[in-house]
Amino acid sequence: MASSQSTVVGVGSPALKWVLRLLVVGYLFFLVGWPSALIVRRTFEGGTQAFTDALGDPDVTHALQLSATIALFAVVINLLFGVGMSLLLVRYEFPGKRVLSALIDLPLAVSPIVVGLALILVYNPRYGWFGQTLDAHGIQVIFAKPGMIMATTFVALPLVIREVVPVLEDMGNDQEQAANSLGANAWQTFWRITLPGIKWAVVYGVVLSMARSLGEFGAVKVVAGNISGETTTAPVLVQQKYQNFEQQTAYAVSFMLVAAAVVCLIIVALLRPKDEKKGGATATAALKKENP
Amino acid sequence: MSIDVSGLTKTFGDFVALDDVTVSLPTGQLTALLGPSGGGKSTLLRIIAGLDQADSGTVTIEGREATNLPARKRNVGFVFQHYAVFKHMSVAKNVAFGLEIRKRPRAEIDKRVAELLELVHLSQFRDRMPSQLSGGQRQRMALARALAVEPSVLLLDEPFGALDAKVRKELRDWLRRLHDEVHTTTIFVTHDQEEALEVADEIVVINDGRVEQVGSPDTLYDKPANDFVMRFLGETTDLAGQTVRPHDIDVSMSPGVLGSTAGTVTRILRVGFEVRVTVTTEDGSDVLVTMTRTLARNTGVEEGARVWLTTAKGATTVPVMAAV
Repeated sequence: MASSQSTVVGVGSPALKWVLRLLVVGYLFFLVGWPSALIVRRTFEGGTQAFTDALGDPDVTHALQLSATIALFAVVINLLFGVGMSLLLVRYEFPGKRVLSALIDLPLAVSPIVVGLALILVYNPRYGWFGQTLDAHGIQVIFAKPGMIMATTFVALPLVIREVVPVLEDMGNDQEQAANSLGANAWQTFWRITLPGIKWAVVYGVVLSMARSLGEFGAVKVVAGNISGETTTAPVLVQQKYQNFEQQTAYAVSFMLVAAAVVCLIIVALLRPKDEKKGGATATAALKKENP
Repeated sequence: MSIDVSGLTKTFGDFVALDDVTVSLPTGQLTALLGPSGGGKSTLLRIIAGLDQADSGTVTIEGREATNLPARKRNVGFVFQHYAVFKHMSVAKNVAFGLEIRKRPRAEIDKRVAELLELVHLSQFRDRMPSQLSGGQRQRMALARALAVEPSVLLLDEPFGALDAKVRKELRDWLRRLHDEVHTTTIFVTHDQEEALEVADEIVVINDGRVEQVGSPDTLYDKPANDFVMRFLGETTDLAGQTVRPHDIDVSMSPGVLGSTAGTVTRILRVGFEVRVTVTTEDGSDVLVTMTRTLARNTGVEEGARVWLTTAKGATTVPVMAAV
């Protein structure tokens, strides 16, 4: 009785295993695989013609450049703040820490459209809280790059922090204290000890942020105000071109966005497990050699 | 006096870790801070190192006021229970860390690292990563790393606590020999009385955030200040209102000696060369007596026998509950 039960729970009967496998494969196929494959098929329906046409369109190149610029700024900002915030959350005790920790997850929960609207309320040059002052000094936030960068940064904010915090916690502060007692100041300790320890978490967070930032649509669309050829990012362009019956171009740009995201994810997949496996395997081998 | 600690108090919430501790630790010696877990000895060590801040009190290291000095300026070497090795650096890089921070010339660093690795018997591992070392090797590397900066004081926080018994024993002997070579003032924390008695020149017994006694291993063993110190340094039993060691009790089969305590043997346990006899006295308390097998045979002790117990001549005794 017990053994038959454990067979079902542990390994699963062959039939059940196949049903489950089919279910998962079907689910992924209809939700992810098929639609993505169709994008690729449509893009290359007429050979590489649509692709080269799209790259020849100044709107497209501008949108791609804009998206890349915004993503770059958003990632750098989130990298600096993310690492700093993680250190604050893990290494220091202060009142309101739990509230701060919860706030960091807010961007994941709130709809990006709402983020865009909120930014407009604050930075709008006509009635926004900060907007009027900034406008008086000639700084335009809304309907310009700064606003779009802010929106993207907001949306991708938790990604670096959520990667780095668990690694910092796991690492403990022993090594940092040891560095301290050996004469290292705070900056030397961070640079030589802490950062190498969280390196892979930071890389992972950055790649995820990059993918998220490149693809952001809702928040950016609201603050960009859609000044054609000026503030149109790649995802927004896809929607425009699609609605204007330039579907080939829309598919081509979509393909590039998918490809960028896939490349990001492949980079992560290649970087991370290899690093862990390598460290662990050689260590065990060496230990076996040393202590037979 | 190398390290002077005066009026040190430290609390964590309601818990008093150190309660007005004043103690002087001698230069050039190997001192053990000995006491039960949670007694405050690690906290004292961390405050001396500057890794924790005391609520009140002062710390002076080699005549230099260090109370408000950050850890990195105290020039102390600290060795952690769980090694705290720099995981991403090779053994040689770990040892060189303090010297690189001090911007010493490359040639000098290489020379010093080579010397230290020789000293801790890790020369052949210089290019290994810490994950490729055993626990004992890691701790030796951590020691070399701490010694590299020529600290005025070397502090070790339960350095061998995470190692298995055999390695612990080896490292203990090795630490003693190392200290005889290097002569750096060394303070180590331990809860293992055997470790302290075997290795240290001087022992500070700490319990409940207070210093119970300071002295050489012999002084502590032969003249314990109170029954806590005596109980902590080895097995004890109570006889006629005195705390005494079980091997310091004479057993007689007749009531010959004045002031002897009468009782009945209720249990005999033979463990190797040793015989452990439990005697229940007339007031109902149990007294543990240990003796060699030969002595037990010659005396004729057996279960149910009526015996008379006296404290051996010259034995160390302390009145029960003296420490209040």
